[in-house]
Amino acid sequence: MLLSKLRQALICLLAGKVTLSYPAKPRPPEEGFRGYPEVDVNKCIGCGACAAVCPARLIKIEDVDQTTRRMTRLLERCVFCGRCAEVCPEDAITMSKQFELTSDQARQDLTHVCEVFMATCKRCGRCYEPATPLDRIMEPGFRHDQIDRGGDRCPYPELRAPDSESPSTDEHDEHDEHLDEPVSAQVAQVVEAK
Amino acid sequence: MTTQELATQLQERFDAEQGEPDGLASPGWLSVTVCSDRLLDAIRWLWEDAGYRFLISAGSDLRRERGKYLVTNLFAQDEHGIYLAVHTEVDPEQPSIPSITPIVPAANWTERELRDMIGVVPEGHPDPRRLVLADDWPEDLYPLRWDVEHGIKPPPSDCQVPREPPPEGSSVVPLGPYFPSLEEPAYFRLFVEGEEVVGADYRGFYNHRGIEKMGCSVLTYNQIPFIAERICGICGCVHSTAYCQAVERAAGIEIPERAKYIRTIMLELERMQSHLLWLGIAGHIVGFDTVLMQTWRMREPIMWLSEKLSGNRRVYGGNIIGGVRLDIPTEVHQDVLDMLDKLETEWKALYKSIPGDTSLMARLRGTGVLPHELAVERCVVGPTARGSGVAIDTRLDHPYAAYDRLEFEKCVHDGCDNLSRTLVRLDETLVSIGLIRQALQQMPDGPILTQIDEDIPGGFEGFSGVEAPRGEVVHWVLTGDENRPTRWRPRAPTYANLQVVPPMLKGSQLADAPINIASFDPCFSCTDRMEVVDMRTDDEYD
Amino acid sequence: MLKKLCKKAFFKSLWIYHTNTGACNGCDIELIDVLTPYYDAERFGMKLVGSPRHADVLVCCGPVTRQVVPALKRLYEAVPDPKLVIAVGSCASGGGIWYDSYNIVGGVDVVLPVDYYIPGCPPRPEAILHGVAMALGLVEKQVEAEGLRQLPDRPETVPMDVPEHRGRK
Repeated sequence: MLLSKLRQALICLLAGKVTLSYPAKPRPPEEGFRGYPEVDVNKCIGCGACAAVCPARLIKIEDVDQTTRRMTRLLERCVFCGRCAEVCPEDAITMSKQFELTSDQARQDLTHVCEVFMATCKRCGRCYEPATPLDRIMEPGFRHDQIDRGGDRCPYPELRAPDSESPSTDEHDEHDEHLDEPVSAQVAQVVEAK
Repeated sequence: MTTQELATQLQERFDAEQGEPDGLASPGWLSVTVCSDRLLDAIRWLWEDAGYRFLISAGSDLRRERGKYLVTNLFAQDEHGIYLAVHTEVDPEQPSIPSITPIVPAANWTERELRDMIGVVPEGHPDPRRLVLADDWPEDLYPLRWDVEHGIKPPPSDCQVPREPPPEGSSVVPLGPYFPSLEEPAYFRLFVEGEEVVGADYRGFYNHRGIEKMGCSVLTYNQIPFIAERICGICGCVHSTAYCQAVERAAGIEIPERAKYIRTIMLELERMQSHLLWLGIAGHIVGFDTVLMQTWRMREPIMWLSEKLSGNRRVYGGNIIGGVRLDIPTEVHQDVLDMLDKLETEWKALYKSIPGDTSLMARLRGTGVLPHELAVERCVVGPTARGSGVAIDTRLDHPYAAYDRLEFEKCVHDGCDNLSRTLVRLDETLVSIGLIRQALQQMPDGPILTQIDEDIPGGFEGFSGVEAPRGEVVHWVLTGDENRPTRWRPRAPTYANLQVVPPMLKGSQLADAPINIASFDPCFSCTDRMEVVDMRTDDEYD
Repeated sequence: MLKKLCKKAFFKSLWIYHTNTGACNGCDIELIDVLTPYYDAERFGMKLVGSPRHADVLVCCGPVTRQVVPALKRLYEAVPDPKLVIAVGSCASGGGIWYDSYNIVGGVDVVLPVDYYIPGCPPRPEAILHGVAMALGLVEKQVEAEGLRQLPDRPETVPMDVPEHRGRK
């Protein structure tokens, strides 16, 4: 009994004081850590490969006109798996080491919007068979007009956020003068153009 | 007995037809179809005479493909290393099937789930209450049917799940769904007479997230490993490994040798951190917080190493179909070995100091007795089974990844109490250290990922078992045509272990209930998938 | 206004009640990790308590499942005012990988007003400490300061020349 307690005391004593001084001193993660996915918009060709592989399905694609594709990333849902960075044919996405993502308004702070000039997409075909990326983005769950933050269709009416009656009125729509034609028509255009 | 002999026997006795031709190609895996009239006979023979252990059943909606529902019961024979799937087709006009629970008590939950999720009624089930879905979920909406949308949010109904009445003369102590000692939501009603527990009723599945439905409706083959990994935040890697192996088996994909070793190493790292975590939680529950602090301190270097190897502390995200994404380069081998040496020294010191500690022994020895026979009857797995003298370990009985090339032994104790289960985990951590050392030494060079050029064909079955820290994880996959499985059925070890809690609590002291439950290392999240939780351990996790 | 008040009220020590609203356990474990020797959140007066009635902060991990909704609402009412709600993990922040499943109502903010979000899957213990320190007013928010957010008033439309090799001829 006593011996056992002495052994236990020894374990604690040998360990000593180990507490790290974070957050007073920074503690960067190891090389290869998968943190906030940063997008180099100059490299992005808008092929949609990242949207097709994302397990959380948080990359929404919207074709605002024939030559502009807007990609909205709802990063508050990101699971940091790094698949998007892995499949990107242009290496436009890197998993940064940024992990201090605390925010008091995650939906604004962690929504990333980028617009890409789309001449390339029509002949992309580099990462998949030609039909695939376009087919993919027409599937439910991939389109900007279907942004679902969870809760919009909440079964309990009293829990529904007041603005969820019209889910399309989030902040970037106010600045959006392109959305005058229905999205399905735009998709049709892209398909035709292809 | 080989799978060929088994197939012949089943054919002669029960007119069982062999399933897909690939079923026989892989030794250790057989799939047969039995008509529902002969099902009970076949199950009785497997269970009572042939020594098969029940794993799980799965209901699939194949009305589009074959015009039927398919109910699959999965069994394992550990001596011969055989996994067996017994399919029964069910007519959609009359969705019912004879219940096997009266023969195999371990099938209780999974048959209730069958009724909840796919609407096939097990006739003659002793406890036909709702299990998985929310209390206010409408009565006749079955989420796993193909024509039910994965995102359906039906308005609340006034459906009520009846509670089990307490035995005469006892009072009810409700625990949950949130209560101080439990982290995860679960609702227990303990029936007590004085201090003695005479029974328990459990309502869990508060963490049910609909993973199976998502796997069969919106995700693709290579997205599922990431959602599978999030079935459980403590032992997620086992789920993605089991899923990938099941699909690889279904599609006949051979993965590179190096990938097998990498999977082995990540699985063993996960086992070590999980056992350390468990010991800390157990220490906390019995009121010995020094154990919590010190074991978690020892565990931290494992987490840092995981972050270095995989890019994330807990959810490695390394498995995809055809191999792994993350290599373990030679430069970090030394880091791994250093960590293992340090951990081994500290672990041995800890090991020596535990058996002599009378305060720990008072709480562990002789409490939470799970008799050997009950453990066999209820098909418990993992350290829970091995602590009751049931020598099963998937790593040796049904080898996968690189385990058939590594040398190690099963850790079995036959005390049947909380102490035995603790000792099994203490031993296994040392075994894991040895396994990682061997794997690092033997790991060949080469590619880590097989290029898959063709689509995965539909209509094939795959099955895989993986030994998780808590017991055997099994994943069964039926491939489909739209780049995703038609049906994917994971089973977490706690699903099997938790069902034994009510019979085991009977006759114990109320004060011991938390450690008794915790000694199973229950993981509600996995079970509820799946999920649920319990009282457990979790306690505090909090 | 409320935020200022909160800052005033919470600048010393936070007593935390931890709930699992449907999580996979990953975040729960990391949260306990924060209390163990290497991170030791008790330095900041943070402490896990056993009853919501003792707590200042409700920490939620996981997407909110249908079963949990009534219990969670009762829990929130049991925490005395003023109170904070912190959502830990990507699932609690926005529903995570499960956001559109039939049994998921959404992130925690669908049911309760959330004051701080700590995304991550699971967040590192350092990230949780950072979140707590932010609630205490010790550190600054990083996501906006770093310019990680690009607003539509500076559109990132990048007309670029298309190099020949990108085409599929």
